[in-house]
Amino acid sequence: MKVHFEELGIQSKREMELINITDEVKGVVERSGIKNGIVNVITMHTTTGITVNEGIGCLEEDIVDTLERLAPEGLDYHHARYLDFDGRLGVNAHCHLRSMITGMHTTFAVKDGEVVRGGRQNIYFVETDGPLYRKYVVQVMGE
Amino acid sequence: MIDVHTHPVLVQEIMDRDGDMLRKVREVFDLQNRPQPLETFFLQMEVCGVDRSVLLPIDCTTSRGCKIYSNEQIAQLVEMGEGKFIGFASVDPQLGTAPDDLESAVKDLGLAGLKLAPGIQEFRPDQPSVFPVYERASELGIPVMMHSGLSWEPGSRLEPCRPLLLERVAVKFPELRICIAHFGWPWIMETAALMMKYPNIYADTSCLYADTPMEFLSFTFSSQIPTTWIERTLRNQVMFGSNYPRIETVKMVDAVRSLGFSRGAERLIFEDNAKKFIGLGEVSD
Repeated sequence: MKVHFEELGIQSKREMELINITDEVKGVVERSGIKNGIVNVITMHTTTGITVNEGIGCLEEDIVDTLERLAPEGLDYHHARYLDFDGRLGVNAHCHLRSMITGMHTTFAVKDGEVVRGGRQNIYFVETDGPLYRKYVVQVMGE
Repeated sequence: MIDVHTHPVLVQEIMDRDGDMLRKVREVFDLQNRPQPLETFFLQMEVCGVDRSVLLPIDCTTSRGCKIYSNEQIAQLVEMGEGKFIGFASVDPQLGTAPDDLESAVKDLGLAGLKLAPGIQEFRPDQPSVFPVYERASELGIPVMMHSGLSWEPGSRLEPCRPLLLERVAVKFPELRICIAHFGWPWIMETAALMMKYPNIYADTSCLYADTPMEFLSFTFSSQIPTTWIERTLRNQVMFGSNYPRIETVKMVDAVRSLGFSRGAERLIFEDNAKKFIGLGEVSD
């Protein structure tokens, strides 16, 4: 079995946003040369997520709005204290929780060199604490 | 909007040119975030409407054996910022060359103010040996941003950071504009008293030591001193400062706005007072 690994960078531009990374993932699969197997997409942060949904703006807004409703800023979070290992205050508990809701990874099948997706499935990198320069990894395994 | 208190200590472009800078930031400044490209700094400003940010370095050559950053690196960042940055200089007040170093940073590098930090630079603001630095700053017509109150840097003591130690400086140099950074927390009442008595003393809002920005500023500016003191009495001397990247700029903007100042007071805090302090010309009507 062959394993192909790439670490990709991404610049988020807003505090919260969904960034469509479907084409980037397809590009890694193509570069891997692997024809049949699986592809894993994994974020490298605890205040970002990876999710899959329909690639239209209204739904992207609904997902952001829903994450804000489910994990609101300004609640009485334990994390809101000085973190001596970080040199900063932990003022972003809501971002960690939003990231947890979206999850940190997704997996797709690879068949005949293509990512097997439903017609409406898009892969998103979810920023919950931006703007920041972020990283995620794409790992392709197969033959 | 102007943010008078930022530390560009994690800019990737500077790290790429100075291989030892990240270690110095980690050890001396005690900030463990990952470096970010300059674009992130611009975007942090953009999402909350900040047009210009003051960049504050620290020259702690005698006390810590380094500069974070050098005045030359600040000048480089100002150039890279294409109008978004206002660079302040820092000099080591323990060195006899400090006044001349300051003059060179202003005249040769175009820097617009002076940053000093008594805790990390290990001096007392009222010690006579530092007065030639204030005198030169006053002659040059530039303001002084003085770290005051609690700081997170390891080995940085609280005692020399008491706002009251600036009284002798304010009296001796009445033309010198001095900002008590972080509002001098926890000595908020002391800071307010100095501002009431000396019109050349300013303070910035970059005060966050527990809880969330909204909770901490609400406590500081409604329980420690009434919000009305700023709205009515200190409105011409308080400036917005974030302390980015110890905290995201937008979170401090939201926290200051949540205090419920009038539109007039907000305009002074977010822009006009900074223009007056830095010397950027006429304020808007």
